[in-house]
Amino acid sequence: MKILTVTAALAATVAFYAVSAMADTRRDAILVEFLSQAKQEDPSFTAFSAERGKAFFHAKQTGGKPDTQSCTTCHTETPQAKGRTRAGKEIDPIAVSSTPTRFTDPEEVAKWFGRNCNSVLGRECTAVEKGDFITFMTGQ
Amino acid sequence: MNVMRAIRPETGLRPQAIFKVWDLPTRLFHWSTLVAVSIGVLTGFFGPEWLLGLHVWSGYGLGGLIVFRLAWAFFGGEYSRLDRLDVSPRAVVGHLRGLMVGRGTHRIGHNPAGSLMILALVGMLTAILVTGLVTLGGQEKQGVLAGILPYSIGHAAREIHEILTFALLGMVAIHVLAVVADSLWGPANLVAAMITGCKRLAGQQEPLPMRRARPLAAATALTVIGCIVAAGAGALTMLPPLGVHALAANPVYEAECGDCHYDFHPSLLPAASWATMMSGLDDHFGENAELKDSTRDGIAAWLTANAAENWDTEAANSFRRLSADAPMRITATPYWKRRHRGIADAVFAGKAVGGKLNCVACHRDARSGRFNDQSIDIPEEKI
Repeated sequence: MKILTVTAALAATVAFYAVSAMADTRRDAILVEFLSQAKQEDPSFTAFSAERGKAFFHAKQTGGKPDTQSCTTCHTETPQAKGRTRAGKEIDPIAVSSTPTRFTDPEEVAKWFGRNCNSVLGRECTAVEKGDFITFMTGQ
Repeated sequence: MNVMRAIRPETGLRPQAIFKVWDLPTRLFHWSTLVAVSIGVLTGFFGPEWLLGLHVWSGYGLGGLIVFRLAWAFFGGEYSRLDRLDVSPRAVVGHLRGLMVGRGTHRIGHNPAGSLMILALVGMLTAILVTGLVTLGGQEKQGVLAGILPYSIGHAAREIHEILTFALLGMVAIHVLAVVADSLWGPANLVAAMITGCKRLAGQQEPLPMRRARPLAAATALTVIGCIVAAGAGALTMLPPLGVHALAANPVYEAECGDCHYDFHPSLLPAASWATMMSGLDDHFGENAELKDSTRDGIAAWLTANAAENWDTEAANSFRRLSADAPMRITATPYWKRRHRGIADAVFAGKAVGGKLNCVACHRDARSGRFNDQSIDIPEEKI
């Protein structure tokens, strides 16, 4: 009985790290893709910045739709906290430490940057903005 | 004889002065009917939606009482019988004319005006029960008639149901006034008589020869009627509710649209509204909610194929009347506004609900499109 419990606990731990590691790998691949786009847009670009990402996350925009002026409108000022859509549905925390699957599926990433940049800024986000954002959230 | 048994020697009155006129089943029927009607009226006019169950059961109870009383009108004691009611125009007119000139006549059983009122009350109650059952079946898609009645008939019946109930309340008022007046000016306290069954007689009144109650015959008749009703109701409830379908889950819709809001049942808007909405996702109620073209087209096809036009539920019928200003906004429809008028903004803003779009926070069956009254469960009101 005890052996079973220990084995299960070990398996769960291993599985958790394996999944996290895979998630990290996939997130890194997405960041690499944004980095190459950023370098195409500006050949002198070197690296994403969590600081810029943080400022971008909290910034109040004016170009987008009036009801959504900032990322924090729905995601709250605290990335580790649950957010809420304007329609009232809970949003899993945007911080990677709270939601390890964040920024691991290229399609989801494209969908949500596509929608939300349009809503908040009234335009597509640049590769730099997206990379900075993910870099900031990965450290949160 | 019954008369002799009913005599109460201790009163010191002459033998026939106190007379047992109402047998126990008749008295129980009378007061049970009062209780059932009170529950029905209170829940109907003042009760919150989720008490519909109690309202409906008061109706079923009344139905049972009326069927029983009709059987007892043939097999009950002398003064419980239908043929003791004298409602010939001559008798009624004569009785009322007598009252006008202050020479009212008193009867052992019902006087002609009272007899007329009893028939009218039972008829009115029956009409209210029938219109209630039609409303329940057609509008709410519940009960034995749900499988055969369209919403339009149920909705019309609801109006009649309400008007008839006002008429009933008027008749009850007249009934009570007449009983009070007769008790004040007549020889007997009629309210007490309906409790004890015994009535003080006017000097000259002589009771009729009594026909005995036949409880066994009444029970037999009621059993036969009960079996017929149960068989009919059972057969009808086998039918699926008219215009209510089982809709297979659509995981893509639930995932994509459910990311931001409750996955609205497709029956809640007409096809045209869904089509317009899905072709304008770049500005979806003030937000960009664009999808991949293939995903969007798949969801749009599913929504329009299962739109309000294909359902006969109360919600589908009601939300077809759109707001002219916001034809895609369910919460802007006149029906939505009217039905949610009494709910405080704080309830919507509360953590448990989180906004007017979150139907499923209070309507436990929102995902089926049914929105039954009994399935309403407003979190803030259950403290």
